Amino acid sequence: MTPFELVEPASLGEAIALLDPEDAGVRPIAGGTALMLMMKAGVFRPTRLVSLRKLARLNARIAATSDGALTIGAMTPLALVERSPEVARIVPVIPRAMRRLSNIRVRNVATIGGNLAHGDPHMDLPPLLIALNAEVKVVGANGAQAAERMIAVEALFTGYFETVLAKNELIAELRIPPQGRSRAAYLKVTTGSAEDWPALGVAVALESEGSAVKSARVVVSAATEKATRLKGVERLLAGATVDEKMFARAGDAAAEEAECMTDVRGSAAYKRELTRVYVGRALRQALNSDGATR
Amino acid sequence: MTRTISFTLNGEQVAAEIKPHHNLVEVLQREFNLMGARESCGQGMCGCCTVLVNGAAVSGCLYLAAFVDGAEVRTVESLADARTQALSPVQEAFIEAGAFQCGYCTPGFLLMATQLLEAYPDPDEEQIRHYLSGNLCRCAAYPEIIAAVKLAARRRKANSVG
Amino acid sequence: MATSSGQVGTPKDAKVGGAKVGSQIGRSLPRLEGRDKVTGRAEYTHTMRLPGMLYAKIFRSTVAHGRIKSIDTSAAKRVPGVYRIITAEDIRTVIPAPYYGPAFHDQPILAVDKVHFVGEPVAVALAADPHVAEEAAQLIVAEYEELPAVFDEVEAAANNTLVHEELKPAGTFADLKHLKGRKGTNVALDFKLRRGDVDKAFAAAAHVFEHTFHTQKVLHLALEPFASIADWNERGVTIYSGSQGPSFVRTEIARLLGWPENRVRIKVPYLGGGFGAKLYIKMEALATALSMIVRRPVKVALTMEEQFYTITRHPSTFVIKTGVDASGRITARKCEVYWNGGAYADVGPRVTQKSGFTASGPYDIDNVWVDSYALYTNLPPAGALRGFGIPQLVWAYESHTDMIARALKLDPLEFRRKNLLREGRPQATGQIVRDAKLDAVLERVAERLNWGKPLARGNGALRRGRGIAVAIKAVISPTTSVANLTIAADGSTTLYCGTVDMGQGSDTAMAQIAGEVLDVPAESVRIVPRDTDVTPYDMGTLGSRSLFHMGHAVRLAAEEAREKIKAMAREVGEPEGSNIPLPDLFKKKFGMQAGNIVGTGTYKPDYVPPDPATGLTDKVTPFWMCAASGAEVEVDTETGHVRITRLITAVDCGRPVNPKIVETQISGAVLMQLGFTMFEKMHIDAGQVTNASLADYKIPAILDVPQAMENETVDSHLSTGPFGAKGVGETATFCVSPAIANAIEDACGVRLTALPLTPEAVFRALRAQANKPLADDA
Repeated sequence: MTPFELVEPASLGEAIALLDPEDAGVRPIAGGTALMLMMKAGVFRPTRLVSLRKLARLNARIAATSDGALTIGAMTPLALVERSPEVARIVPVIPRAMRRLSNIRVRNVATIGGNLAHGDPHMDLPPLLIALNAEVKVVGANGAQAAERMIAVEALFTGYFETVLAKNELIAELRIPPQGRSRAAYLKVTTGSAEDWPALGVAVALESEGSAVKSARVVVSAATEKATRLKGVERLLAGATVDEKMFARAGDAAAEEAECMTDVRGSAAYKRELTRVYVGRALRQALNSDGATR
Repeated sequence: MTRTISFTLNGEQVAAEIKPHHNLVEVLQREFNLMGARESCGQGMCGCCTVLVNGAAVSGCLYLAAFVDGAEVRTVESLADARTQALSPVQEAFIEAGAFQCGYCTPGFLLMATQLLEAYPDPDEEQIRHYLSGNLCRCAAYPEIIAAVKLAARRRKANSVG
Repeated sequence: MATSSGQVGTPKDAKVGGAKVGSQIGRSLPRLEGRDKVTGRAEYTHTMRLPGMLYAKIFRSTVAHGRIKSIDTSAAKRVPGVYRIITAEDIRTVIPAPYYGPAFHDQPILAVDKVHFVGEPVAVALAADPHVAEEAAQLIVAEYEELPAVFDEVEAAANNTLVHEELKPAGTFADLKHLKGRKGTNVALDFKLRRGDVDKAFAAAAHVFEHTFHTQKVLHLALEPFASIADWNERGVTIYSGSQGPSFVRTEIARLLGWPENRVRIKVPYLGGGFGAKLYIKMEALATALSMIVRRPVKVALTMEEQFYTITRHPSTFVIKTGVDASGRITARKCEVYWNGGAYADVGPRVTQKSGFTASGPYDIDNVWVDSYALYTNLPPAGALRGFGIPQLVWAYESHTDMIARALKLDPLEFRRKNLLREGRPQATGQIVRDAKLDAVLERVAERLNWGKPLARGNGALRRGRGIAVAIKAVISPTTSVANLTIAADGSTTLYCGTVDMGQGSDTAMAQIAGEVLDVPAESVRIVPRDTDVTPYDMGTLGSRSLFHMGHAVRLAAEEAREKIKAMAREVGEPEGSNIPLPDLFKKKFGMQAGNIVGTGTYKPDYVPPDPATGLTDKVTPFWMCAASGAEVEVDTETGHVRITRLITAVDCGRPVNPKIVETQISGAVLMQLGFTMFEKMHIDAGQVTNASLADYKIPAILDVPQAMENETVDSHLSTGPFGAKGVGETATFCVSPAIANAIEDACGVRLTALPLTPEAVFRALRAQANKPLADDA
């Protein structure tokens, strides 16, 4: 790695001031696991890294509100999310999905904010968070003033490793709304070794009444350039009767809608077939799981 | 751009002159002559560079040394008793079970196995496999590593009872 | 317990008649170096430092074949802290003919005039700070005039696009001499074997089958990447290197420098894995040249990514044709094998020839024709990887054998039994097969698989099946090992041998052999670290040869020492059969604790080179390695995912010297080949490796270990082996791939003929079978 300046501001305002909206060589660093990879590969040569470790407002914290919403501080390491009793109680699908997310050392260091801000389509949490209708609180500069805005995780990603975040904006907090009677599942599909990055990620969350689906959110990732909602599939599912035929129809629609890409993990044609099968499997798993968001 | 960091290393208070782009493994090797954490894949995939920072396992090759300022750092060199040099139950079990061949990845597996047994003193095979799933051994001593963790768990239990 | 903590046993009980410590052979002694490895103290070249050392960072070619028009080092030189930038021009000031290689002197230390593959070293940045060297290397700019390149081995054989203008065999091997100075070809060796008359036999056969198989480019991926440190001065050079063959390195560096061997010293710290990658010259020549230029110690330590541009396993294409008579006997087999050797020959020609001996498989066939070609292409070089070509061959011939049995509606096991090469029969080369337990390994696997009893076939989308495979390898010959052994006046034993313990446990095994002869505990035998100033010649730690060849040399050295002890006892007047403790004997002889007994042993088996026209010889190998594997799989026919539910391997390794270490060698070999079978693959686009990292090139991790993996050694004793032993490092790799492919066909009816057996490959085959082929992407 080539030399750079490392600054560790103590306040959010200071941090945002140290970030430069015009300079691609200046970036914030949280856990740094993903950024270090880019730096070691020489694809990112920073002039300045702004560490977020000393910012109290982004602190590692997980809180549940009385209505069943969760807020998670951006600097919370993934391992804390994985082990949190609140998370396990309210959205158990998250710790289940995290078990196969990268490895323990990465989960100990990588933060929830960094995981989202990186925009890597192979991450396991973004599709799931989109399915759960989560949003992030983003802080940035508005002239001399600090400014905040809320962005749906769904709207965060604009392309391959690209997000709507300005270079001087930071994710401060993740909010997962109350899940009510919704049930969710995430399936990671690998085509190499068991601990490989996913060739396809499928996240679903749906509410049903009796044998009918009330509403559904279906998200694919890894096979596509960014984590993407399959709205056509969702429309197909809304009001549909839950049965094997419906799973198959949803799979077919998903294969049609998802824009899969070819890489070392498989051809686009094959990933479409995986999507066809795994959207059905994810729906089946979600509906067979018991209770809310399980 | 040089800065001084101070931290606890294997129980001792230490300080080092580093630059922001130095990672933890190179600083441990260069400044402290601790060679047990080694860079292999350079991407946090293999676990050869495993170091414990504030009690959590991290990939030392992806960890800026600057970030251990004020932290507590432990390496494989701390597993044996500092005074008597007696090996830990996990180290003993790795030798007895033949849980390594070339030994390059072994420090990482030892630290992870030690962490595993602290979190789950009586792990089943599934827990062992999942906990160690992010460490790679090209000699593929995996069956023996699983056996060693089970053996170490039994030893630890016997020791704590006796 | 005493041994488990690495405590060293005591030699005090050593006596003239032996201390009767019990047999050292057959003991599951934990590895002698265990304590070093679990405390993090084991020293590897990659983490070594010498005072005043400079770090080298390599600038590599971005084109597959091209003439170097210019190299611009000006920006690199301006990086603060850079010591020097080096190109081939600088190398030639110290080594005028900077080409090396075990079979051909074809590989330049840095690219001279031309580059031959993407990733070839072109220039080097030197600095005291490795980060500075790295930054500078990234600022070097080269311009190339691109030339046509060839990547496929079969296309290369047509010789339309040439990788090298002229062939430069090293002169070491008789069978390469005819290639000297040859132009207009990419063929670096053409091995032929001709037995009987295949054409006549095909004409007479009831059935003839022909299939073509492919294997992919894969990597050794030792977790310790290549590293060498050279420290040169006018009197000599010392090289610290993670090398599997320090004797070869010494010879070759001496040749490059025009020095006698005794001025070149190779020291080998622990190796973080080798698997055949760390043989011959890798970073040693570059480190030496750099040290000569700057007159300081220089370290060349690669990153994981750079390993992908250094040495790999040969991709192969194997066209195999078999004639079968009406009774199900194989009457003829024709094998055409194309080995993709990449841009430099390395040891490829030896892989081509030595594996060619057994390309027709472990079967008794009267008419055999083998053509085996080593080919140059514009890819990273290929060498030996745990099997010396055998896993590629077995993949083809055992898939083919299964396909024949299925086509003829014969039981695949029965078909193999009927044709198996039996004890006392001639192998294809003409050598009579002795001490090869082919039948035993096959039968043990069949028994464990419950072959003949019905298998639950699964339901719905999940289909289950099982498969079996059996193989043979002729261990490489002729090779030489030398061992020295000293006994000090206190009775303690020190062993000097050049076999490199890269994790396979050879130090422990050699100590057991010495201990067995001298009747002392193996733990009490000290093995001296590899250092060519001290440890005598050994051809190299490769091809499962060490336990047999070095084992014999150690045995001979210990036996000589034992005879000298007896002679000393006679000389000082001890009665026949005396049991005087050794320290007392030395005192009696020298009047005090003084003196040494030195034993030495040299071993080289008989060998008759194959006839150049027919490839036949009755002494091709000192022993046969035999293996069989069986697999049970579950195929998800909706996605193509294959789950291996059982993986069984039986090997013949003669008498196991250390059963526990043998067990780990078997399971380690099985799991490594499992990766090569199921998913490992270097993806290459126009010569550029596109997945040169552990993020995108996956190797087996703990979750990939089959839930049921069963390994065993069959009862065996090699009559010509040291205490009955054979080598075992590679054996268990042979049959894994075809056993799994055969099981997949058994499960769901599709046959894959190319590795790896990815879910997509299985899925595509299933769709093709259903007449709904999956379209390729545009």
